[in-house]
Amino acid sequence: MGILRKSVERLWLVVVLIVLWWFASAGSTSIFYPSLDTIVSTLWTDLASGLLIGYLGFSLGNLLAGLALALILGIGLGLLIGEIRWLGEAVEPFVDFLRSIPQVAIIPLIIGTFGLDAGPKIYSIAAGCIFPILLNTIDGVRGIEPTVRRFGKVYRISGPRYFRKVVLPGALPQIMAGVRVALPIGITVMVVSELYAARMGIGFYILNSSSTFHLTETWAGAVLVGIVGYLISIIFNLIERGSLRWYFKSGATTK
Amino acid sequence: MSTFTIPITRPGARARLSRRARLILIRLGLVVVVLGVWELLWLVHAFPKQVPDPIAVIVAIVRLLIAAVFWNALGQTLFGALIGWLVAAAIGIVLGVAIGTSGFLTRSVEVVLEFGRSFPVIALMPMVVLVIGVNPRMEVFMVALSCCWPILIQAIAGSRRQDQALVDMSRVFRISRARRFRRVTIPGALPFITTGLRVALSIALLVDVGVGVLSQTPGIGRNISLSQDAGRWDVAFAYILLIGLVGWGVNWLVRLIERRALRWARQEA
Repeated sequence: MGILRKSVERLWLVVVLIVLWWFASAGSTSIFYPSLDTIVSTLWTDLASGLLIGYLGFSLGNLLAGLALALILGIGLGLLIGEIRWLGEAVEPFVDFLRSIPQVAIIPLIIGTFGLDAGPKIYSIAAGCIFPILLNTIDGVRGIEPTVRRFGKVYRISGPRYFRKVVLPGALPQIMAGVRVALPIGITVMVVSELYAARMGIGFYILNSSSTFHLTETWAGAVLVGIVGYLISIIFNLIERGSLRWYFKSGATTK
Repeated sequence: MSTFTIPITRPGARARLSRRARLILIRLGLVVVVLGVWELLWLVHAFPKQVPDPIAVIVAIVRLLIAAVFWNALGQTLFGALIGWLVAAAIGIVLGVAIGTSGFLTRSVEVVLEFGRSFPVIALMPMVVLVIGVNPRMEVFMVALSCCWPILIQAIAGSRRQDQALVDMSRVFRISRARRFRRVTIPGALPFITTGLRVALSIALLVDVGVGVLSQTPGIGRNISLSQDAGRWDVAFAYILLIGLVGWGVNWLVRLIERRALRWARQEA
């Protein structure tokens, strides 16, 4: 009973909004605002024909690769910068400055330099995602309790093992928070890099249909991007909860 | 006691100063090394041909700083970002506080918020351009739609999280709802709201530049893609470094204001 009430509470607004959209747009003849009915059927046709599936695969593949690159670089550099004090102090203003550069502004440069393939899109996504991950890793490493570190010293855990077994788990909750911030940035850069110049991908689908005035498809693309973004965020929630179970269990959050 | 503390603090202060000087030296050294490596790699053609000579970039930065074109574009970008941010702030704070005072409403909007937050608003660009056109109104619309989410989310979280002691106390003293809202809810939510506003401001600047790059509305974004189209990669680099510097400055300024304005909140914590 409790679960039923909870889900009704959480879902009624979504249902109402969709129904409102459905009836407000029904029978619309404006080319700018097609009816939700036609948007959904267009989305379905293009998904079923495999066109959008292929585009989606290309876009999400780039997102994953870019995110992986950002994770490796961000966490690796973050552990070093957070752990080595003089290094952190020396590079701090530069990290702050680089982070302030609008991610979307460098996309034209990266694509102009490396061309239209998947590579430059992956670099752009990585460049956008790296900063929240890096900064949160640094904060996480610095926030590790001194007792934990001392234990590591007492048991003579050193070198790479110290990083892997003491520093990384200690900083993990904060790192996950960084990834949460990085995800929407990654999705945005993914779409923008394809809106700027591409031969395929979900952003290309949106741009191509709008420049040929097939606005139903533009809407369908936007709806698809929204659904995919939402699903990614839900999947991430599950991953976060799974990988940090020990953290939530330990009651570290209640203190 | 004070006679002892004076000689003790003095050398400490001097040591800190020299440490600071050393830090500045290290940082300067880092800049020189990065620029030197860049120049060296450029000289041996290790980069793709689009990557400019760092010296040319420095020259371009200096030239831009004394050019009206740059200050005009910067003004347009900042203006668009600021107006969009203000619109988002007004909508986000009012809606957020209204929703946050009711537990039922807060739970109801959860899914919609999660959806909106993960939605790349800039994907709507081609459509918005067709409907509104390429003009300042479109720019403000895009900025406001992108940066209202963090404000909304923070405003809801802030007005949900109340100090139980204060709530109990206002009940005991039979303080009217309107007064409680003004004296308890709003001050409690303020630190959260300012965080949302700060995050939103950097998003606003970012989106405004992005809109310029994609749609050629006048501003920094447009000038970046124009100079790139003209083959002036040094100028494009200069623009990007300068807008990064501006973003840095804006963030620093906002943090400063936040710290001043919310001094009372941190004393309690």
